[in-house]
Amino acid sequence: MTQMRRFLSIGIIGLAGLAAATGLAACNSSPSPNGTSAAKSGTANVAYAGSLLYLDEKVIGPAFHTSSGYAFTGRGAGSLALSQEIKSGEITPNVFESIGAKPIEALEPKFTSWYVQFAASPLVVAYNPKSRFAPELAAIASGQKPIADLFTLMETHGFLLGRTDPNLDPQGQAFLEMLLLAQLDYNLPAGTVAKILGGSPLDTASSSQIFDETALEPRLEAGQLDASSAYLSQAVQLHLHYIKLPPAISLGDPKLKAAYGRAKFKLANGMVAMGKPLAVDITTIGHTDAAAADAFVAYVLSAAGLDYFSKNGYELLKPKLTGPRSAVPAGVLSELAG
Amino acid sequence: MSSASSPADSGGPGPFVVPAGAPLGAGGGGSAPSRLRPDLFASPLGAGRISTVAAIAGALAVWVALLGPLITLFVHISWSTFWSSISAPDALQPLVTSLEAGGITLGVLILAGTPLGYLLARGRLPFPRLVEAGLLASLVLPPLVIGLLLVFMVGPYTPIGEALAHIHLTATNTLAALVIAEVYESAPYYVLGAESAFAAVPVALEEQAALLGDPPRRVLRRITFPIAARGLALALAISWARAMGAFGAVIIIAYHPYGLPLQIWTTFQEANLSVALSFAFLLLVVALPLPLLAYVWSARARRLD
Repeated sequence: MTQMRRFLSIGIIGLAGLAAATGLAACNSSPSPNGTSAAKSGTANVAYAGSLLYLDEKVIGPAFHTSSGYAFTGRGAGSLALSQEIKSGEITPNVFESIGAKPIEALEPKFTSWYVQFAASPLVVAYNPKSRFAPELAAIASGQKPIADLFTLMETHGFLLGRTDPNLDPQGQAFLEMLLLAQLDYNLPAGTVAKILGGSPLDTASSSQIFDETALEPRLEAGQLDASSAYLSQAVQLHLHYIKLPPAISLGDPKLKAAYGRAKFKLANGMVAMGKPLAVDITTIGHTDAAAADAFVAYVLSAAGLDYFSKNGYELLKPKLTGPRSAVPAGVLSELAG
Repeated sequence: MSSASSPADSGGPGPFVVPAGAPLGAGGGGSAPSRLRPDLFASPLGAGRISTVAAIAGALAVWVALLGPLITLFVHISWSTFWSSISAPDALQPLVTSLEAGGITLGVLILAGTPLGYLLARGRLPFPRLVEAGLLASLVLPPLVIGLLLVFMVGPYTPIGEALAHIHLTATNTLAALVIAEVYESAPYYVLGAESAFAAVPVALEEQAALLGDPPRRVLRRITFPIAARGLALALAISWARAMGAFGAVIIIAYHPYGLPLQIWTTFQEANLSVALSFAFLLLVVALPLPLLAYVWSARARRLD
């Protein structure tokens, strides 16, 4: 009996090892990249908003390296946090891609004096296709039912909604602003937002609905939430089911800046959060490896770069320069002219 | 170990003691042998002296490597920030939450992990390697991944989640979720530690006690536990430390209520490093004494053996 047990144990361990080895071999057999242009010295060191992680690391970074020959390295975090880290000298990137222009403006004039806005990252409501509310959510997504129904549905007792901490994460803030705009624009009864939030105040971090950004999408994919906040880009990249929101409340249209500003609430630290367009802005920082940095920004604004943004769930805007043209690198200017 | 200045046999408080007379000897050359430390002055740069310097440098290197993060914490912490951040309203709630969850976790480990460790050590479980594989898997997998897997396992729409809901418990953003995450992060340390502690108890001793008429429970109480106690205490100390510092699985399934590790993380994101370090210091103050005591007790017990 002991003998048999021993054989079984060894067998199980052996099988596991074999499976792991086979997996490794399969990974190694992927073809090596070819068609790379001549390597140039210099690195585009990009600080990007956390929601751009997949696009920058997996798509644009490698494509930029192949087409330009410059190396790419990146770091993603909340745009405001990145701005603070750049200011304090904790990180020294040469390109900054931010959601919203404010984090870039905070670095002027020492680190940069211009930025280009070129894409929007509207908010959507992602949902679980196996949820008991899925038939209604799907009807709203397809337009068979009006969008206002989404908000009455989210009020339902037992509806499991996921969002992020408004005090820490811009998406958490944007989601609450979206709810406030919906309550205003769809003439929903006062208190709708409070009911959707399960009675917890807007500025609280401790609600059973609030998760870390890392945990939100996996929880939805695991079928453990009925719906959650998401950027359109995340929903597209992760192949989530989602409800597209009208521009009036999605915070995805820079032309509606004034209207978005009607959504205001106080954060736990006393500051007031105010609705603003979720646009992607890009600039170069400092002078380290300037050629590589300029080339990266030019690549993002080229037809190929913008196409990647569009395919990954960003809505393209007509690139708009803020700041003196004299400060903008020539390569970037020529992309803006084209 | 031929050198007389070796710290091990100097009897002094450690390697930082420069041998008495060393500076005097420097001018004396090789011709002034000391009666007490003859080989120290064998040459102007005596082998003894070199080994003393090497011992000091080596000890310093080990100290810096081991205590580096702690030293950094003390260098960078601002005491005024510390007092103001821990005296803010509700600032100590995460401390209470951490102690509650850590205490419950310890209870679960003692009650469930001790018998499991014993049965594993005595080979009384079918397919013990499978149990060990499960424990080791919890160690190998990054805690973040354990957290993600727990979402699939105990989320509100899973069979376990629905069963928990019947007894009005949920394993999402609750103290129960925090305990579950801490148990998964710390159990491997305790159970595997308890297994080796029990394995070190000579079976022959237990059998002799049984032959002399001790019933099994008395054998456990008089033979097994006293011999395994030191190993069990150390395993418990390490798993307590792990539970108090648990973060990866916690951030996924128990974002609320905040314990100290999450408080450190969110404070770092919201405010800045110096406020976050205040809570890191607080975590050390409350979590370190218990495991340290276990080590002190164990070292003393070993000396008495």
